[in-house]
Formats: sequence, structure tokens, C-alpha cells
Amino acid sequence: MPIKMKSILGLSFLLVGGCSQLHHVHIGDIDQSQGSLTPFTITVNELGFDAAKAAEIGAGAAKSASTSEDLELVAFILAISNFGPKTGNPVYNDAYADEVLSEVIKACPSKKMTGLTSIREATNVGPVSGEVVRIKGFCINLI
Amino acid sequence: MLKNTLLLSVLALSLTGCVGLNTVSMTQVPAKRDNIITTKAASWNLLGINFSNAFVDEAIDGLKSQCPTGKIEGVYTKHQTTGYVLMFKREVFVSAYCNEV
Repeated sequence: MPIKMKSILGLSFLLVGGCSQLHHVHIGDIDQSQGSLTPFTITVNELGFDAAKAAEIGAGAAKSASTSEDLELVAFILAISNFGPKTGNPVYNDAYADEVLSEVIKACPSKKMTGLTSIREATNVGPVSGEVVRIKGFCINLI
Repeated sequence: MLKNTLLLSVLALSLTGCVGLNTVSMTQVPAKRDNIITTKAASWNLLGINFSNAFVDEAIDGLKSQCPTGKIEGVYTKHQTTGYVLMFKREVFVSAYCNEV
């Protein structure tokens, strides 16, 4: 296959691969007995990066065979270095999810909330991803 | 040779598990457990390519509609993915107890 065709195909896969991935969902108790509910959503996001995948893409796009082989080796070393259980791509800030608590507390003027749903998801575009924590819930509008 | 390969593939496929359990969670279970409500939401995709996780919201709406004036407690949530040939089905199953106050 000619290199141009390969590049177009690779780019299309990269764009189509911009997909949403659901890692975890937890639905909490919902109290509809105290009044009407108003929904709210809190989202925090951090950049994730898969270096091994980036090297793999580089190996596929390399013009010379030796560069391609070198990048494949780099990808392999990166992959085994980061081997182990993980959720989503690695991020550079391990405290990005901590702010959800302070944001959730501020969400309801009545200070009464219910139906908290915690969602851990990611949006992937090639080796880069948005690692997302989303909290959905309802403020109770007291009668 | 081709026949053997095909037979082996079919055998291997029949032995392969096709359901992956992603997450399970549970909230505090109430003492009153007369009225159980259940709901589920699903989303199909090709080759694992998804553009939204909004199907989870359908499960929440399904739960709320079954207990419009009560408390929904003891919520059990199961998130699983079933693989078919080139297709994947993501599902959220929810069961809970509806208690009128």
C-alpha cells in the first residue's frame, strides 16, 4: 500500500477512534419524597497520554524501515514499563479528581441533594485522551 | 486443512466467554424491601467505537419514573459489556427499592 494511502487510512482511524469509553458507573439513592428535583452535573477532566501508542503510530508512519523498527522497540519498552492494572491513560496530575467534592458541595443552594451518580469515562483521540470524572445529581427543592 | 481451521475456530469461539463485567456497586440497603424496581439501559457499537455514554442517564430516568414520590434506596448497579462478532453491547442494569415516605 502506498505511504499516502496508509497515512490517510491511519488518520481516519485516529479520528474515528475519537471515542467515548465508559469505565465505571455508580448510581446512588434517589429521594423524590421531599420535593421537586433539579439536576446538576460536575465534570473534571485531565489530559491523558499513552506514550507507547504514540511510538506505535510513529513506527507505522516512519518512512524508513530502520526508523520504524527503532520506534517499535521504543513502543515495546514503553509498553512493558507501564504494564499493570490501570484505568484509562496515565495522567500527569493525580489530584485532578479531588475538586469534585468541593464543586458538588457548592451545587445546591438548598444544600440538600440526592441521586448522586459517579461516572468515570474517557474520550480518546489516538494516544491522547481526556480522562473524565463526572458527577451527576439532583438538588432537592424543598416544599 | 481449511476445514480443520474453521472447525477449530468455531470450537474456540464456543469456548470463549463473551461477557465482560466492568463494575458493580451498591448503596445502603433499607430495612423495608417490599417494592423492588428494576431498569436497564444499553448501547450498541461497532468495533468498540462510541461517541457518548448518555445511555446511563436513561437508566436513572427509568428508575425515577418508577418511584415518582418515594425514596429509591439500596441501588444495585451492574455495568457489563457483551461482545458479539465485531459488535459490542454495553449495558447498565439497575435494581433498587422504592419506599414511600
